[in-house]
Amino acid sequence: MGFFKDFFHKDQRADRRISDESQEPKQPSTRNLSNNIDYILNALKRTEDLKVRILKKGDAALLYIEPLVDQDKVQMNIFNPIEIGRVDSIHDIPSAKETTNLEEAVNSLLRGHAVYLEDENRRVSQFSVTSVFNRSVEEPANEKVVRGSHDGFVENIMVNINLVRKRIEHRDLKVKFFKVGKKTNTNVAILYMEGLADPEVVLKMEERLEAIDSDKVQSPGYVEEFVEDSAFSPFPQMLNTERPDRVVANLMEGRVALFSEGSPTSLIAPATFFMFYQAPDDYNTRWYTGTFVRLIRLASFLIAVGLPALYIAIVSFHFEVIPDDLITPVKSSINEIAYPPVVEALVMVIIIELIREAGIRLPSPVGQTIGIVGGLVIGDAVVRAGLISNIMVIVIALTAISSFVVPSNELSTTLRLLTFPLICLSATLGFVGLIFGFLFIAVHLTKLESFGVPYFAPVAPLRLKDLKDTFVRFPIFMMKNRPKDAHPMDYKAIGESREWKKNEQSKKS
Amino acid sequence: MSSQKNLKLTNRQYFFLIIQTQIGVGILALPFDLHTAAKQDGWISLVLSGVLIIILMVFYWLLAKKYPDKDYFLLQQYVLSKWVGKAVTLFYIVYFAGVGVLILLLYGRMISIWVLPNTPFWILSMMMVAVCMYIVCCDLVVMARLYTMFSAFLIFLVGLILYSVKDSRLFYLLPVASDGWGGILAGIDKGIISFLGFIVALVIYAKVEGEPKQKLKTIIFAQITVLLFYLSIVLVTFTFFSTKEIALVSEPVLYMLKSYQFPIVARIDLFFISIWMVFVATSFSTYLYLAGLGITRVFNKKHSPVIVLIVGLSFYFLSLFIGFNLVKLDQFSSYIVKGGYIFSMGIPLLVLFISLFRNRPKKESAT
Repeated sequence: MGFFKDFFHKDQRADRRISDESQEPKQPSTRNLSNNIDYILNALKRTEDLKVRILKKGDAALLYIEPLVDQDKVQMNIFNPIEIGRVDSIHDIPSAKETTNLEEAVNSLLRGHAVYLEDENRRVSQFSVTSVFNRSVEEPANEKVVRGSHDGFVENIMVNINLVRKRIEHRDLKVKFFKVGKKTNTNVAILYMEGLADPEVVLKMEERLEAIDSDKVQSPGYVEEFVEDSAFSPFPQMLNTERPDRVVANLMEGRVALFSEGSPTSLIAPATFFMFYQAPDDYNTRWYTGTFVRLIRLASFLIAVGLPALYIAIVSFHFEVIPDDLITPVKSSINEIAYPPVVEALVMVIIIELIREAGIRLPSPVGQTIGIVGGLVIGDAVVRAGLISNIMVIVIALTAISSFVVPSNELSTTLRLLTFPLICLSATLGFVGLIFGFLFIAVHLTKLESFGVPYFAPVAPLRLKDLKDTFVRFPIFMMKNRPKDAHPMDYKAIGESREWKKNEQSKKS
Repeated sequence: MSSQKNLKLTNRQYFFLIIQTQIGVGILALPFDLHTAAKQDGWISLVLSGVLIIILMVFYWLLAKKYPDKDYFLLQQYVLSKWVGKAVTLFYIVYFAGVGVLILLLYGRMISIWVLPNTPFWILSMMMVAVCMYIVCCDLVVMARLYTMFSAFLIFLVGLILYSVKDSRLFYLLPVASDGWGGILAGIDKGIISFLGFIVALVIYAKVEGEPKQKLKTIIFAQITVLLFYLSIVLVTFTFFSTKEIALVSEPVLYMLKSYQFPIVARIDLFFISIWMVFVATSFSTYLYLAGLGITRVFNKKHSPVIVLIVGLSFYFLSLFIGFNLVKLDQFSSYIVKGGYIFSMGIPLLVLFISLFRNRPKKESAT
């Protein structure tokens, strides 16, 4: 059966490629100017922003889609050379790209080019006069760092690749472009270091990108759902980032980065769970600090996922776990509350989610107000009203803060979602339920794969060497090998870089 | 998941797979069982049984080494001829089911006594079976990775146990061998029970990569680790409770931990039992896996989630027949213990004996 499946799949793929080629229709231009213009107008459904400028008293025409075109560029690239008198005809301008295929002209019009046609001439000249609107490469708001580079990706794929190339001046950096989305024709690029990235991963990425058969692709998040391994897992299997330095670091570990036109987010695959907990800041501070911060972050994972569940398990099943001195305050704060702890927790978690969701879309002054009203006023009032115990408020607030500690927004949402099943489990079975919940998560993480690479590496499968950059951050010169999880072709990353120390010592003696 | 298929285990994973299977339900009651049989000399019985197991492991190794690319069930089919081998495998499946059910029962009883007295058995059993089915329904490699990860909890357990060393009184171990060797020999029986699960070393031997000698080292090292772990538990509890006290506490480890109160948490026995559940889950999943593997070998099927589902559900429903019924439980466990001798010692040694008269398969000599 497997053989047949493969057989048919291959067939299909081959078919698609052939049909792709044949889909590029050819329409030879005619010698008649008005026929040509008519064809183009019809091809573009007589859209009214298509501007036809009649030149040479009706013997020639310049066509372009007005919103896509920069008027200054039109003036400079097309009319200036003629006005200066350097060339006699627009057809002779050297920067022109020529064709006799009207279909190609239509496509280039859509790309923002201007098309020049002449009567009694089949030549079609195309000029790149696209207007580009870029914001500056400022630091992404959701991935700020204290030290380190402060630029970020923008919506233009070329600028993004430029930012990466500027950081890796090496011939091995390879870019591959794909057109994804049948109607939107979105430019998607994958970047990797040839000879470093695992060819199998690259191949997988290419295959999956080519397999996308969708009318539109609007963002990397869209692409992500098409290409990731387990779409039904709550955990993100590709790292989202808007930081060039993060992309570069991952490329140098042998991973593949994916960009798409119109979005500042790049996707990195294969990703592991612990990658989401590494921030560029870790490598810019002293390594003690980096280690400490990272440990705090990983602790935040446990707190965000497990703290409310643990608290509920303790107060509803295992009160005896609380030490004697603490029993009275805890008990007295809970006694007043009418609802069981689960309801309290769920209500509080939902309130926090509401505040968060409301805060995102609002302009920042209003967002702050919402934060104050939500956080302080509701928090205080809800305790005074006797709806929720003050310890529960502490627990949930701590949980919410912890969930925002993760450097990746994707994982942060996942964590907040995972709290709910754990709360339910611990409310029904106490510690036993909690353990089962954590077991499920652990098993799931171990099973998960990102592009054929185990997701929970280097903990499962265990690789002690790679733990240097997982829970702790060793000094950089000690991390001589690349992590194994991305299957880099070349493990050695750093050679002897502190030889000078020995030399100095020998000089002294 | 394609890239993980057919990956062989490393020696480290093999090691952890063995110890995670062996360390399981037994650890809570082990000191008590040893004590009822051999009084304060129980630890001697434990060491002796550990030595016996290590010797047995060498025989296992001799058997498995002969057919390096056949797992135990295929090996039976080769050595005992196809149909006899399949029949024996069927018995093994029944045995594994028995052990699995016994684990479920003991775990359910322990949870019901210590943590959740009002929760019905079917819920506890269902949760455990569900988690373990989820563990088993993928590849052995993933299981091994998981077990390796969970072994970190062993440090917690050892740490908690060693905390009590400060209150131990070595003279509780005296006098040594006062009642003669009869009690110690009786204790060996209990000791061996706690080691049961070593059969996994034989069954999955073929799925591990590496030199035979290295594998033998791994197996023996695993047994020594398990022995040391058990020994630490037994010695600590034997020296914590006096000889008379220990006869009264059926789960000495938990009672011992219960007596401590830390400033941050009281009742660390509850945390101990929570971590212990992880070990129960790993042992149970191994038996689930072994039974599933047996079925794939008997019916020539591929390892698939459907088989795991069937096996898991049958384990579950079988366990419901006994539930919390103590009389039946004791009877059942005595059967399983006897079965343990037959299936973990008798049959493998018999197969080894028969294999002496059989030629090695020709394929191996070529490669």
